[in-house]
Amino acid sequence: MNAPQSVNIVMIEDDEGHARLIEKNIRRAGIMNPIRHFTDGTTALDYIFNDTSGPQLNGPALVLLDLNLPDMSGTDILAKIKTSDGPVKRTPVVVLTTTDDSREIQRCYDLGANVYITKPVNYESFAQAIRQLGLFLSVIQVPDLGDAHG
Amino acid sequence: MAELPAAAPTNRTLARRMTALMALGFIALLLVGYAAVRVMQRNELHTGLVEHTYQVERAVLDVRRLVEESEAARRGLMLIPDRTVTRTNFQRARAQMTPALAHIDGLVRDNPAQRRYLQGLRLQLGSLLARQDRTLALLATGDQRNAILAFADDAEVRDIVTIRNVLDRMAQVERRLMTHRDAELRASQSAFYTLIVLGGVVLAVAAVISTLTILSYTRDLARSDEALRELNAGLEDMVAARTEDLTRANEEIQRFAYIVSHDLRSPLVNVMGFTAELETAASSLRALVERVDAEAPAVASEEARLAATEDLPEAIGFIRTSTQKMDRLINAILQLSRQGRRALAPEKIDVAALIQQIGETLSHRLSETDTVLSVQGSLPVVVSDRLALDQIFSNLIENAVKYLRPGVPGRITVSGRRERDRLHYTIRDNGRGIDPRDHQRVFDLFRRSGAQDRPGEGIGLATVRALVFRLGGSIDVASELGQGAAFTVSLPLVVAKQELNP
Repeated sequence: MNAPQSVNIVMIEDDEGHARLIEKNIRRAGIMNPIRHFTDGTTALDYIFNDTSGPQLNGPALVLLDLNLPDMSGTDILAKIKTSDGPVKRTPVVVLTTTDDSREIQRCYDLGANVYITKPVNYESFAQAIRQLGLFLSVIQVPDLGDAHG
Repeated sequence: MAELPAAAPTNRTLARRMTALMALGFIALLLVGYAAVRVMQRNELHTGLVEHTYQVERAVLDVRRLVEESEAARRGLMLIPDRTVTRTNFQRARAQMTPALAHIDGLVRDNPAQRRYLQGLRLQLGSLLARQDRTLALLATGDQRNAILAFADDAEVRDIVTIRNVLDRMAQVERRLMTHRDAELRASQSAFYTLIVLGGVVLAVAAVISTLTILSYTRDLARSDEALRELNAGLEDMVAARTEDLTRANEEIQRFAYIVSHDLRSPLVNVMGFTAELETAASSLRALVERVDAEAPAVASEEARLAATEDLPEAIGFIRTSTQKMDRLINAILQLSRQGRRALAPEKIDVAALIQQIGETLSHRLSETDTVLSVQGSLPVVVSDRLALDQIFSNLIENAVKYLRPGVPGRITVSGRRERDRLHYTIRDNGRGIDPRDHQRVFDLFRRSGAQDRPGEGIGLATVRALVFRLGGSIDVASELGQGAAFTVSLPLVVAKQELNP
């Protein structure tokens, strides 16, 4: 990674407990990037596209996305990110959700999701999955969104 | 909905009425035929009688002619006594007189009036013939004068006039008789015509009534046919509507099960996750308590020690096992609902090959338990969903392997037969069997029977039953404790294609 510290992790997860568990396990994996947590789609989209510290205006980021949100479907957010014109569309999106329906998984990949992970109910598996995701995040190359500005 | 007309009584009444009408027609025909025969007979009789009358008349005329001829000859001889032709004529007329009279006699023997006239005629003729004989006798002696004088007698004239009168009377009697008989014949003929007309009218009426009856019956039939059709259409609509309702309700349940089981998972992740966190925290607490125990026993209270070493681990253990079980149950519901949502793909399936395939998949467990899986006879081929059928038979055979009697080598046989448009497959084992009280229960979700010494959640048979129902079939079990079990799956020959629900 060119500058791993500058990559913001945007977590869109309506369940506070899940968010906390995810964050704990990411930290345990040694990932110390800043994590911005949103519990609904509207504010999350607003941050991504309009906030000065958001990925659209302020460099690389990585999105952790839950599909079951109170105000909109996670797939809508995914579609908005992947069909946008700006640099945001190159932002890696990791779908992290309880849904393991094959059609839903397929749909997410069709919409451009980079990784789809089902949250295991068993905590050991869950923790392990998140830690592995952390390892994955530590080696992943995030596009330098700043390039898009030219 | 149209009411069905009562068809049966109408039928019986119709049959009775038609029979009566036919009988009436036949009777009319018979009467007309009988009358025709009678009229023919009368005609024949009459013709005979007419002939008879003419014969009598002719006979009477013959006698008259002979009398006149003999008289004419007599007069001729009185004028010219020696003329032989005249004498011959006279003698011939006289000779023919007796047979002519006998002929009349023969003809009128049955008629008293005529007989009386005939008697009178004979008397008068006798008198006349006597006079003729006398004339001839006188002429033979050459006494022409006396012969002519005798002829001039008044009695002479009276005789011939009387004879003529009698003969006229006889002719008249016959004429009258014939007129009378003619009238009779005409009467009988007109009676015949009346009868024919009457018979015709009866026949026509019978025909009209039968036609009307049949027409009205046909109309009734058409009406009831229409009513039946309407009823049928109504039924079909009703069935379609109910099916739609059921399908919708089923879809609703499927969706409900899916959503509920899904949404139940989310909080479960938290419960399990934070239980694990709690365990980690508890273990560090326990370490602390142990250290305090070792270094400054006075500080640690008995309660704190118990809480850290026993209460917390126990509580966490229970939470953990319960949530794990809950997770398995939710997964089972999810799996069931997912199967209900899957579209069926009917294809021709060689069930024997399918069983063999399942046997190969389970070969390790079969040999481990010394179990033999065999197919008895030939299994009928079915058109159904392969995946569903595979799951059904796999589950049943796995169950058979799972619940064997300890120490008894397993024998699992699969047999099948066809009954009209249903196929019955039976999976029979020699395992521990199922208490008859539990035969229905074992098919319920999360319900099990017998000793709970095998892992499982009570999902397999519920899945099997759901799948069998989905394929339009049914499942039954026959078993006694310790006697093995026989599960019979009944399927339609061809599975009905279902619209899948999204």
